[in-house]
Amino acid sequence: MASELSLSIRSRRPAFPAAGSKARPFVLQAILLAPVLGWVTAFFLVPIGLMIWRSFAEAGLAPYVTILTSPVYLKVLITTLKICLLTTLGCLALGYPIAYVLTVARPAGRGVVLILVILPYWLDYIVRSYSWMILLGRRGLVNQLVLSLGLSERPLSLLYTLFSVSIGMIQILLPLMILTLFGAMLRIDRRLLDAAAIHGASRWRAFRTVFLPLSLPGVYAAGLLVFVSALGFYITPALLGGPEQTMISQTIMVLASDLLNWPLASAAGVLLLVVTTVLLALYNRFFSLDRMFGGVTT
Amino acid sequence: MSVVAANDRGRPRSESEARVARAGARVRLERLTKFFGRVRAVDEVSLEIPSGSFVTLLGPSGSGKTTTLNLIAGFLAPDAGEIQFDGRAISALPPHKRNIGMVFQSYALFPHMTVFENVAYPLRMRDRLRRDAMRARVTETLALVQLSGFEARYPRQLSGGQQQRVSMARALVSGPRLLLMDEPLGALDKKLREQLQTEIKQIHRQIGSTFVYVTHDQSEALTMSDLIVVMHHGRIVQIGSPPEVYETPVNAFVADFLGGANLLSGQMVSRHGDTCDVRIANGQVIAVPRGGLAESEGAAVSIFIRPEDIRILPPEQRPHGRVGTPATIRDVVYLGEALKVTALVGDQMVSVRTLRSEVDRLAPGRDVFLAWAPQSSRLLPPADER
Repeated sequence: MASELSLSIRSRRPAFPAAGSKARPFVLQAILLAPVLGWVTAFFLVPIGLMIWRSFAEAGLAPYVTILTSPVYLKVLITTLKICLLTTLGCLALGYPIAYVLTVARPAGRGVVLILVILPYWLDYIVRSYSWMILLGRRGLVNQLVLSLGLSERPLSLLYTLFSVSIGMIQILLPLMILTLFGAMLRIDRRLLDAAAIHGASRWRAFRTVFLPLSLPGVYAAGLLVFVSALGFYITPALLGGPEQTMISQTIMVLASDLLNWPLASAAGVLLLVVTTVLLALYNRFFSLDRMFGGVTT
Repeated sequence: MSVVAANDRGRPRSESEARVARAGARVRLERLTKFFGRVRAVDEVSLEIPSGSFVTLLGPSGSGKTTTLNLIAGFLAPDAGEIQFDGRAISALPPHKRNIGMVFQSYALFPHMTVFENVAYPLRMRDRLRRDAMRARVTETLALVQLSGFEARYPRQLSGGQQQRVSMARALVSGPRLLLMDEPLGALDKKLREQLQTEIKQIHRQIGSTFVYVTHDQSEALTMSDLIVVMHHGRIVQIGSPPEVYETPVNAFVADFLGGANLLSGQMVSRHGDTCDVRIANGQVIAVPRGGLAESEGAAVSIFIRPEDIRILPPEQRPHGRVGTPATIRDVVYLGEALKVTALVGDQMVSVRTLRSEVDRLAPGRDVFLAWAPQSSRLLPPADER
């Protein structure tokens, strides 16, 4: 007891005493964490555990074998990955320039652009998906414009295609891409661009040789984040896609509520969870890489 | 790994080194003005920087020295006035076409490139050299800043001093005729700073480019410069060689900024020829050389005198040929190589630097006489008129 006292006095941090007196803060931490731990356990860990258990309980590995070998489910998996990849690339192509403009803009202009970026985020995405149906339908705005300009004889089939699903998902996920990229780009020291310019680099070459490489860790991080978010999309592909664009979440829904094949639905859910977890682990890796680059320049 | 002796002056100059050694740029600023909002950050600054000289812009933060440097670099566009290199107006040129080298306070090294790639960057952007010629130039420049053998390291693997050397090498490698340095030693500790000051000076002599150096450190300015430009509130207050600005400051601000000056405020009582008599707060009348100041009798003035020019004498002693005033010692601080004594003259504090050996005679509360040679003092406008 005496040594414990002298230790905490010497370090002057009684809140973090040395070894031997861990008991009290541990109890306090446990009490503080209990509500959230209880919540996570009851509504997150237990259901996931149940899902995993259910996927194996009735037929062992059979549901997994079915999903990974049957052409139907494989096609759904591939379609899901394809749509997610398209969405990610589309978000990147549209988001990178906007994030760059945000980074180099003056504070006043930056505020305006940021509001424009975040505004759609507050709209419910069911509403946004329906808006795309109005725009892209057979008698939609786009087709009326195409017909009146004489660009085509018949209305184009824009809705219920890969295109309509991707564009709907891109619009929903774009703010996430822009804000993540913007956060990463802000950490790039602007003096580096001055250094490049004064030593002979034009604006374009300074961008290509300095800004772009330093922004790549941010690009990877934002890309993975968007990709992972896209994996679980349900409403948008259901509203804007045709049968060809069925994604894994829709399949799980059909298996669980229409076909009542719970083991198969559970197995598909577990697979989605595994892919997501692996990608998030990758994200973590790139995110720390990003920090490593950002830390040097400050 | 072959170690190249950087200070080997006897070594015959290689072709590229001779190319580096062409004459420095002559820079002329004409009524240069820059606003930040409604603040005149740089206010009608006119300056002639001779070819090959080492010019320091000296001033406190917010004095406009860094803004002036950024205008010369082209990172900012002036609101009025002109910049000329060798008589050619360059205000319209973007930074990458001005052919300048620059060392940044934060080093601004590219974190994703090795030391070699950082130093080779200006060559890659500007000179389009062949690979082996480029390699030779980088190796040579790294030897100049004594960093041979560090080519493959990344900036984060280097100490602050080494990073600053890389930054120097990058600025020097393509042989720019003008080199800008923005408080390059600000983040380093005192010993390293002094060592690098000497090395920068040496490099300047070796390559002959024009150097424009920005600092708020007066001792750095005094040791390194050919010409010191003292700035305050966006204006140039004084231009001169280090002895000129140190010994004959034009006003109280310059006197005070260049190393703790004493300014005794008083009133001019009479003038005769080159000297005049000033009555200070405690009633003492002191003779001061008039300098260029055209104040009339009765005007408020201040007497400028450096701490190291004052001698502390016993109170009854009145040395011949010296002027001075009675004072009371307030405080004695041991500095190592000297003593810093604070004395009270009336209600004004005067600081004195004196020899360590005098410590026995000096104690707080003792009455003394502060004496100095009249020619080491100077008449300046009153202290509050900055």
